[in-house]
Amino acid sequence: MEKTQEIIKSTDLISDLRYQISNQIGAKSLLACIQCGICSSSCTVSEYIDLQPHRVVACLLLGLKDKILNSNAIWYCSLCHRCTERCPKNVDYSFILALLRNMAVKEGNMPPEYEITINNLLEHGFTVPYAGMMKKSIDRNREKFNLPEIVTPNLEEIEFIVKETGLKKILEDAKKGKKKEVKT
Amino acid sequence: MDYAFFLGCMIPLRSPQLEAAARKDCEILGIGLKEMHGASCCPDPVAIQSLGIETWLTIGARNLCIAEKMGLNVMTICSGCFETLKTVHVMLKRDKRYFDMVNEILGKIGYEFRGTSKVYHITEILSDKKMLEKIKDSVKVPLEGITLASHPGCHLIRPSKILEFDDPERPEVMDKILKTLGAEVKQYAEKVTCCGYCARLNEDIGDNLCEIKFNDLVKNQIDALITVCPACTSQYDLHGRKIARKSDKPMEIPVIHLPEIMALAFGINPKSENMDIMKRAIKPRKLLEKLKIEI
Repeated sequence: MEKTQEIIKSTDLISDLRYQISNQIGAKSLLACIQCGICSSSCTVSEYIDLQPHRVVACLLLGLKDKILNSNAIWYCSLCHRCTERCPKNVDYSFILALLRNMAVKEGNMPPEYEITINNLLEHGFTVPYAGMMKKSIDRNREKFNLPEIVTPNLEEIEFIVKETGLKKILEDAKKGKKKEVKT
Repeated sequence: MDYAFFLGCMIPLRSPQLEAAARKDCEILGIGLKEMHGASCCPDPVAIQSLGIETWLTIGARNLCIAEKMGLNVMTICSGCFETLKTVHVMLKRDKRYFDMVNEILGKIGYEFRGTSKVYHITEILSDKKMLEKIKDSVKVPLEGITLASHPGCHLIRPSKILEFDDPERPEVMDKILKTLGAEVKQYAEKVTCCGYCARLNEDIGDNLCEIKFNDLVKNQIDALITVCPACTSQYDLHGRKIARKSDKPMEIPVIHLPEIMALAFGINPKSENMDIMKRAIKPRKLLEKLKIEI
């Protein structure tokens, strides 16, 4: 089979991409990667992804942001942490992947499944809805087992944290972006 | 010993029967559980961490602050909660910059994270040497003649650099507990295979991983798969039924949360206010027959 070679232009490289990630919590070890590939050979979802873990790291070190963010590798990870467990240089790949997901989300790529989860957290304090008929059925179920009543956390505090950490704005921007898309 | 009992979301809201069994076990074993009023979702180590690491760390730290105010260590019965809370605890203590950032936000709503409360999964508390003796003394219906397989799942054991629990490649803590209950515990090739629940953006992944697991369990003639996480439990229970319906071989292997099988061995009525063993897709009828337990 003929192999087509991909040509990467130097102007496409974002030279400080690696530091944008490695400056964040738990990701300093990124710079220690030796491209041994043990992460890829340990990966639970390797047959489903279009960019193997060690290639994701290589792209990150090179500065190929779009190649990473357009890959399904950042979303299909099952978070089994086998890559992190086995890395001889202590690179925490699964944590780095979370940071890459954060980066994608900031650019407006928010999986609807995750949006539901954060909205539940904001509205109920839990990832499972706890209001109205749902609440009644949950309470009845808990009574059967003589379990203590559920106390909803202070939702203002949760909202304050989501706002202060910048996620609230990202959520609002994502909503606006969607409305625009619908219009056009 | 008392613990701040962190409930999470999935167990108290969707599967309260698992919480009931865990509470009963702890009562029998003298483990004191104190309610963490005001605690929220841990938050979810997949969705919330993926959306914003700072949000995840700060909400996690807020939950830990509640335990710190109580002056107690935290106990969870969910691997997801365990992973989040323990990782938040360990990473914030290792990273001064993020420790200060989190506290700056928490300070404005009247909390201070200090990192004084340690985080434990119930499995770790149960596997203590003295506790194993207590468990042995409390068994009323030994699980003799029963072959079990354990599924520690990913978020109880990996990454070991942070979670510091059990051998990440050859885990054995769960097996020790199950043997104490009188069961035979079989080692099987797919023991540390992920259940695929967290890869929920592509359903094929979960389907295939569950099929691999069940094929191995059937080959090993396992009576029940024992789990320690509500996500793994529901993933295997629902997929297991789907696989069994498709197959012409008998594939129905019940999936049971560790505190439930323990309550069964402690002689608790399996369909009572303390537990409901039939509340699952794959019913453990054969298992109960083997143990001569009637319901």
